[in-house]
Amino acid sequence: MKELLYLYCVTKDKPSSCNFEDLGIKIHPVYFRGTYALASSVSPDDFSEDNLEKHLADMGWVEKHIRLHEKVIEEIMRGQAVLPFKFGTVFENETNVEKLLKTNNLEFKAVLARLEGKEEWGLKIYCDSEYFKDVICKEDERIKEKDKEIVSANKGKAYFLKKKMQEFIKEIVNEKISEYTKDCFERLKITAVDTRINKILPKEVTEKKEDMVLNAAFLINNKRIKEFENVLGYLKTKYADKGPIFDCTGPWPSYNFCGSSKEKTNKR
Amino acid sequence: MEILDRALEKGVVISGDIVISVADVDLVYLGLKVLLSSVETMERLRGAPFSGATEEPT
Repeated sequence: MKELLYLYCVTKDKPSSCNFEDLGIKIHPVYFRGTYALASSVSPDDFSEDNLEKHLADMGWVEKHIRLHEKVIEEIMRGQAVLPFKFGTVFENETNVEKLLKTNNLEFKAVLARLEGKEEWGLKIYCDSEYFKDVICKEDERIKEKDKEIVSANKGKAYFLKKKMQEFIKEIVNEKISEYTKDCFERLKITAVDTRINKILPKEVTEKKEDMVLNAAFLINNKRIKEFENVLGYLKTKYADKGPIFDCTGPWPSYNFCGSSKEKTNKR
Repeated sequence: MEILDRALEKGVVISGDIVISVADVDLVYLGLKVLLSSVETMERLRGAPFSGATEEPT
């Protein structure tokens, strides 16, 4: 069966090297009017529609190929801005890849120009709810007041007050978490050219014992990376021992910022 | 997990000649072990807005 073309990304210039020996990948660049689609030949055993669907149920296969996808893009990213493709963008031949470049020529050029000189960084914030509750119960005046009420109340009333207290604590926890995450996000946003809030991932996916409370991506001008790092450092100090746990990663290929201008983003 | 977050869900979304259905991606994303209780999880995954913790942690 004929080999297929697996697409990694689009760039403005041809990469300095097309041979990634240690990854076992040879890049096949396809050119159209000022853009290059960087692809490699892949076997239909892996990427035909039927086989791909089967392979997607195999986490081992998926992990291996996604890591490869990512490594190739990151290598190319060392030299220039890249427009990364979603995993699994496969074409039957070079002509179809060229058609893709032709159809999207202006859009690709525009986004690449916007991404030049910028980096994507991701920030996830987690909160250990139990720890958080403890901190709040110790510090929040309103809760301390209610505690006093409970101690001085008779048994029946105390039970009722305790139940209301649980509700109240839940409200305060949510209030505080919102306040903290908003503070962190807004301060970091100032250093960024563009931002994206992504969906919260549940524990089943993160496999962490804490809850995720913020999942954000920032597109930052290279010249302001230091500023971004400083703000992050400030936030970590500000919220140390208060509950929020910061997980900042990057630089990433700009997966979150390669949409068209029609897409909703939090642009400045 | 960070990679799954990005390479599976984002990036330029253009249909190649080979099409992966959304359901296939969800399967991978959640990992097979979650598939068993996945309907509810998928619903939660699909739309938690930015508002801090809105649910009591389980």
